[in-house]
Amino acid sequence: MPRPIHLWAFLQGIGHYPSGWRHPGAEPEGVFTMDYYARVGRLVEKGRFDAIVFGDQLQSRGVRGRTPEHLAMPTLDPMALLSAIASVTQHVGLVNTLSTTYWSPEGLAERFATMDRMSGGRAGWNIVTTAHPDTAPNFGDEELPEKSQRYKMAAQTVAQAQDIWRERNAALGPSPQARPVFVQAGQSGDGRDFAASIAEAIFCSAPTIEEGIAFRNDMRARVAAAGRDPDAVRIMPGLSFILAETEAAAIAKDQAILDLADEALCIEYLSESLNCDLTGFDPAGPIPVDHILSQTCFPKADIGRALEKPAAIGLPLGKFASGYVRTPRGHNVFRGTASQLANMMIQWVDAGACDGFTLQPAYMPGELEIFVEEVVPILQAAGALRMDYPGSTLRETMGLPRWPADMAA
Amino acid sequence: MTRSFILSAGIGDPALADPAMAAQFVIAAEAAGVDLLLLGRHDSLLFDPQVIAAWAAPRVSRLGLVPLVSSRIAHPFHVARSLSAVDYLSGGLLGWCPVAQGGSAAQLADLVRATRALWDGWDDDCLIIDKESGRYLDTTKVRPSNYVGTHYAVRGPVNAMRPKQGHPLLVCDAASPFAAPGIDVVIAAEGQAFPAAARRLLRVDPDVDIAAMAVRFAAGEIDGLHVDLTNPVVELARIGKALAPITQGRPSSGTLRERLGLPLASPPTARNIHEEIA
Repeated sequence: MPRPIHLWAFLQGIGHYPSGWRHPGAEPEGVFTMDYYARVGRLVEKGRFDAIVFGDQLQSRGVRGRTPEHLAMPTLDPMALLSAIASVTQHVGLVNTLSTTYWSPEGLAERFATMDRMSGGRAGWNIVTTAHPDTAPNFGDEELPEKSQRYKMAAQTVAQAQDIWRERNAALGPSPQARPVFVQAGQSGDGRDFAASIAEAIFCSAPTIEEGIAFRNDMRARVAAAGRDPDAVRIMPGLSFILAETEAAAIAKDQAILDLADEALCIEYLSESLNCDLTGFDPAGPIPVDHILSQTCFPKADIGRALEKPAAIGLPLGKFASGYVRTPRGHNVFRGTASQLANMMIQWVDAGACDGFTLQPAYMPGELEIFVEEVVPILQAAGALRMDYPGSTLRETMGLPRWPADMAA
Repeated sequence: MTRSFILSAGIGDPALADPAMAAQFVIAAEAAGVDLLLLGRHDSLLFDPQVIAAWAAPRVSRLGLVPLVSSRIAHPFHVARSLSAVDYLSGGLLGWCPVAQGGSAAQLADLVRATRALWDGWDDDCLIIDKESGRYLDTTKVRPSNYVGTHYAVRGPVNAMRPKQGHPLLVCDAASPFAAPGIDVVIAAEGQAFPAAARRLLRVDPDVDIAAMAVRFAAGEIDGLHVDLTNPVVELARIGKALAPITQGRPSSGTLRERLGLPLASPPTARNIHEEIA
């Protein structure tokens, strides 16, 4: 019998590929309507997913106040979306990303406590410290606090929120899970230690099975060193997937979606990644390395190194941007048939590379529908995926102890 | 056009954070013909009204949802995003009632101004969404707000759409007044000053003499009533029945602004301002 696989749906906007919104199976207008989210909620419950996860940022897409024209933007506030989805679903967990730097402990504690009650115990909190420099001016700051300071603040904010939840639970009766499930996504040393100290589930990138095994072993060791049970933590790497009848057809389908990323989109996407507006430059001209290095607020040394070779061979800006969009960064990208994907997932989980996957559909809702219709039944037939939900709270669904130890009065 | 009577009700009971109870309250309020359901209370935070409003959004067909938004813990960037989403998810049935909760009225007014400035960073018609050409939005219709007020400095643009109604209906409770132009609805008790607003609702007890109120509405003294509920399901049934003669036949479709005849004055866009300067 294979180890059970946990599934999360990471629903960022209209899909994981920047060009995904242009796919015929994408419904870009839908993301502003309740009907769309009700349908997506039913879909993930049919697929017996643990949770829907929304990433979040606290700044608009774009660079220096210029919002991109070809990238899907804006979306709606994830906390509101998840609260509304709670109203039209029964089982699926609802994991929201919230910043410890730009939310007050009172504000976030109240928000999650109410959500845990209204969802019958399905709230999760993806704890982030906010890394994008453009966020600071939206909260009256000139610059972000530096990274180690942000992690210090994160630990304090979480501890204050825990105090508030303890008080509220004592006064009003506990919310169904006492507090939201803690999720963390840090990959750096600071991030891993923070995750090891509090996270019940960890989102990460693991492009290969070997890297998955290494990350999971490292995290389990850190969790044990923090005095916690490694079996009470789920490791959930990202997984992007393109499904078709044959492997060759899946590769062609992937290529076709990537080809929807025209040069204008790619330059906007690159501009965003470099935090430097390149939309005024000639796509056929050289990469404006000096301009980029003078404008960007990201680490200049890393960017300089990445640009050195393409600039030296005279690669035009447009070509470079197109290549950048087409290069997978970090996450596992699967292209193949439904049974190949199911086998790969079972193999990873059995090998201890992860406890499940955070699925990142290339476009929405089409590719997620294909996964639920075709891959889910194979996983269920193999005994790797539950036929039904075991309970009602997110911790029950994830197979974790119902009451977190830190919530004891 | 005949003036529509506005029925408003408020629930502050912590039972609102129990989904089974909340579901009953929403059904009862819809059935009673309530236009505005205020969610939350002034004295303490027992739950987050914005979460309740989002949860209720898929359950309403004509009921306006009006979360209390406390300037004691809210930040305009978060408020602008959250309310934009609920306005869309409810089909344009959202209002908001900013309250100071012990904070200053000046901060409350600043919260209102900053939040509106973020919404005004996006034009109504910014989305193109043309799969064929690959153009998703008109980038000239989005701009940073660069808002600097007495309490908040918020650059923007906010990563949220301009709400479906432009701005959700702005409700001011005279118990926590603030100074802002364009208040849509004000709620005040007998003898209390009504801050300037497009519509004035009188705060009354659930057992008020309805016939007398109907006379004052007909005379144009008030535009409707607000009732703070202590036993929502029972009181809503009674009020709905008693008011039926004046609430029947009112429009039941469209956004809250459309239904109540409260269109939003178009804000000056950055482009207009630029043209004025040029």
